[in-house]
Amino acid sequence: MHAPPPILRTERLEKTFSGGDAESAVAAVGGVDFQVGRGEFVAVTGASGSGKSTLLHMLGGITRPTAGRVLLEGVDLATLDDDALAAIRRRRIGFVFQRYNLLPELSLLENVSLPLALDGATPARCEAAARAALEAVGMAHRGSHRPDELSGGEQQRGAIARALVTDPAVVLADEPTGALDSANSARVVELLQRLVAERQQTVILVTHDPAVAAAAGRIVRMQDGLIHTDSAGTPRP
Amino acid sequence: MNLRGLLIRQWMRRPGRALAAALSVAVAVGAAVATWAAADASRVGYKRLTEAVAGVPTIDVTARDGKRFDASAVPRVVDVPGVRAVVPLFYRPSLLRVGESRLREVAVGVDVAALVSAGLLTLESGEPCREDDEVVLDATLAKGLGLAVGDEVLFFARRRVARMRVTGLAATDSLRWFAEGATVVADIQVLESMSLSTAEVDRVRVVLAADVDREGVLAAVAQRLPEALVAEVPAGRASLADDVLHSANLGLDFVTALTLAMAWFIVGNAMLMNVAERRRGLTLIRVLGGTGRQVRRLVTVEAAILGALGAAVGAVAGLAAAAPISAGIARALQTRAGDVVVHPLLVPVAVALGVVIAVAAAWWPARQATSVDLLEGLSVLPAKPPRESMRVLLVAALLLSLVAFGCELAMAFGFLPPRASVVSGVVLLLAFVAFTPFFLIPLVRILGRLVPSRWRIEGRLAVEQIVRQPIRTALTAGVLVVAVSNGIGLGHAIRDSVDDVLGWYGKMLRADWVLTQAGALSVSRQDRGAASREMEAEARGLDGVADVEGIGVATGRISGQVCVVIARDLPSALPLPLVPVDATEADVRQALERGEAVAGTVLAQRTGLKVGDDVIVEVFGRKTPVRVAALVVDYTSGGASLVLRRDAARRLFGMEAADVLLVTAVEGRSPALREPLEAIARKHSMFLRSFGELRGFIDRIVSGVVGSLWSILGLGFVVGSLGVANTVTMSVLEQQRSLGLLRAVGMRRGQVVGMVVLQSVLLGAAAGIVGLVAGVTTALFIQFASQPLLGHPLALHIRPGVVVANLLAALAVTALAAWLPARRAVKLELLEALSTE
Repeated sequence: MHAPPPILRTERLEKTFSGGDAESAVAAVGGVDFQVGRGEFVAVTGASGSGKSTLLHMLGGITRPTAGRVLLEGVDLATLDDDALAAIRRRRIGFVFQRYNLLPELSLLENVSLPLALDGATPARCEAAARAALEAVGMAHRGSHRPDELSGGEQQRGAIARALVTDPAVVLADEPTGALDSANSARVVELLQRLVAERQQTVILVTHDPAVAAAAGRIVRMQDGLIHTDSAGTPRP
Repeated sequence: MNLRGLLIRQWMRRPGRALAAALSVAVAVGAAVATWAAADASRVGYKRLTEAVAGVPTIDVTARDGKRFDASAVPRVVDVPGVRAVVPLFYRPSLLRVGESRLREVAVGVDVAALVSAGLLTLESGEPCREDDEVVLDATLAKGLGLAVGDEVLFFARRRVARMRVTGLAATDSLRWFAEGATVVADIQVLESMSLSTAEVDRVRVVLAADVDREGVLAAVAQRLPEALVAEVPAGRASLADDVLHSANLGLDFVTALTLAMAWFIVGNAMLMNVAERRRGLTLIRVLGGTGRQVRRLVTVEAAILGALGAAVGAVAGLAAAAPISAGIARALQTRAGDVVVHPLLVPVAVALGVVIAVAAAWWPARQATSVDLLEGLSVLPAKPPRESMRVLLVAALLLSLVAFGCELAMAFGFLPPRASVVSGVVLLLAFVAFTPFFLIPLVRILGRLVPSRWRIEGRLAVEQIVRQPIRTALTAGVLVVAVSNGIGLGHAIRDSVDDVLGWYGKMLRADWVLTQAGALSVSRQDRGAASREMEAEARGLDGVADVEGIGVATGRISGQVCVVIARDLPSALPLPLVPVDATEADVRQALERGEAVAGTVLAQRTGLKVGDDVIVEVFGRKTPVRVAALVVDYTSGGASLVLRRDAARRLFGMEAADVLLVTAVEGRSPALREPLEAIARKHSMFLRSFGELRGFIDRIVSGVVGSLWSILGLGFVVGSLGVANTVTMSVLEQQRSLGLLRAVGMRRGQVVGMVVLQSVLLGAAAGIVGLVAGVTTALFIQFASQPLLGHPLALHIRPGVVVANLLAALAVTALAAWLPARRAVKLELLEALSTE
């Protein structure tokens, strides 16, 4: 069986946080080569401070690397200006955060449609796509509710719907179960698995929970800013 | 759901925040409209006050030798821009007989019909006199005599006695600007024909249009006059009022500018807080793919909408507030309260400014929000102020200070007019606000140590909360700094200016009774020396008179500048009625006895003369060298005066007559002197006023002007308080989550409220201290700026009452402003507070 074609690739990816002088600079990610194919479900694990969240943020264009490249569908994110990068985040990347990050003033349906609204889609298209995404995560019946009227698990499923609404190339999830109880955690993981299986959705998930990581098809373990092991066998630097 | 929808949802979810932002604009626009309208009302009041004191603005054309002159010698000046009318005046002492009463009155000859038709003379009843046997009488005099239109009086003049019919009664106020004590108004040709003079006038009074530059017209008229004639601002008539009003106008400009600056500062602060509070939400939009432009548009559109709503409310509130404030000012100035005149552009400009400043104020934090690192923006911890911002703030503060001090120096050297101090004062205050973040934190830490030990935890947390957000703290404190500085600075400047004027006045006119020349006032006529000596002798001879001092006044010229030459007896038994600058009274008295002169500080400033200079002084066409022995503070004729002893003035210039007699009574005998002095006044065509009446007149001007300034200052304080309340409320709203956390870890509700109040009070105290320094600097600035107007420096006296009142007010406002929202914040359910974004 062929490996899926790479949808996301990094080359010598580095990130150093400057503390004002050379001595206090911290190398969070120290030269990572890594690639992910379409429909892959990758779990990035590692201890606290291992660089897994920083890697995810660079993959999603939330933070820019100090050196190296991130290529999403062949586009080097480092070459894009802020507006173009925002467009990539809007159309090709879906984010799921540990604390859900739903806007409290909007209903769940409106939260889900927000990336499309930002992209200039018509209200009708926004609503239709948001309903479909909520349907996909089993939250269609809660669309009119505000985030503070939903449980943590429901909010996270809503956040996953928002990540899916633009049909992104990749969904990046940063500890999506970190704030949930075990039952809700299991439900979220199951949902992600189903998306990968049914929609060929590429998902990269950061977690420190081995049980969650085990649900992924591939596990990348990071240590001291480098990939220590990769179950797919990607060569270590 | 688009971005507009998102905005609406945000307002619906947190109406308090949106309301506070819109309210800040409403306060600013309302303050702009009300302050401006109140300032306009004050200016109108000042104008009416000046008119009441001096009549309409005029300049006089008189003979250089002080004698009467042929009116036809005056060239055409009515076409000089700013000239409204040209009125030849002829004064004649005369006798009226009404029934059995005989009254000595002054008659003035003018073109009565022309004055009435030009609106320069108001008849309460009747019509102008046109025939040889017709007169108009002062309505007050006529009422006292029981005369009405159509009655007849016997008029005794030098050449003949005529039975004259009263055709009209003139409103006393409308006579004041030209009659100068005259109560009988006749046609000028009729009066001349009844006297020995023919075609000769005492002066030609040039009436100016309102708000015209009197100095400019004076120069233009003077240029056209032949050598024998001179143009002058009527001396001694309105100079004191003018001086007080000059300073008051400057103060008014300061108060208005600072109140407006404070109002717009409040808008900036509210908008900044409004955006800063939503940092996470705005960052999330960017994370989800919103561009920086979209976020900036969201914020600026919101600012425009809130700005427009607030501006509309503010305009209505401002207009509503303007009426009672203007009425209060009119009451303070004791002028009639006219309709509130609001400049037609004021409301649209204020509303437009409200929107523009709201948008501009939102733009900077929007830019910050879109340039912040996405990860940092998503953090629940408050953002640290970027070092770059602090650097920019420091550079801005230094630059603003340089500009302010540069302006003051330029004014000191005459490169900029005194009014430029208004701009420099505002710039300096902005510099203080920009410096505030650097002073504030150490100050708050020091003040935090003074918190009693039983509030140790609350105090510590309060300090940390302030310190954590230096820029937001500084902005909140900035409003207070401006408010306190406004109150302290202007409070001191106003009191010091008033005390300066009153101090001078108290020295200048120390007498029980004052007789002033009617008609030809300001020219110590050579041809009236004998009559004047007789009058002085009569006054001295009265039983109960302790001392009589004569004062002669004449127009003079030094280096081409018109000045007032004042000749005084300066009896050695009385204190020297002058305030010497850098000289002792004994030295000044000795120099005056040697025949030297002392110059008013404004005259010295204008002509560049210095102590010890020998200057050529021209009086009555006679040019004589005079040594200037010292400079003195003097407000006579705007301070452009030269003072000599009367004997020296007689010898040097031939100034014989006394235009003013100051009569000091033996203790306890003052009231008994009224009647005999009134008789002397009638005989010699003089005005008699008691010192109390004169003092009342001055007090009326001063207290009215001060009252109007306090009114606007009070308005500024209300604006500042509203602004502080608004920003403190927003600040508490922003801390809702932190307050929830404190309660979650076991803090009682009362402790949380105490902490918030303490936080606000610490901020108020620190800002009060910075405001005190800024206020004292502002007061120094105003006084420095007043120097070119007054010609001498004003001493700054720190008034503990003003300082303490301002500081206490700042503490009270901050405590109250924090207490109400804090109580509301702690009433929230714990979970709700913790989930606040």
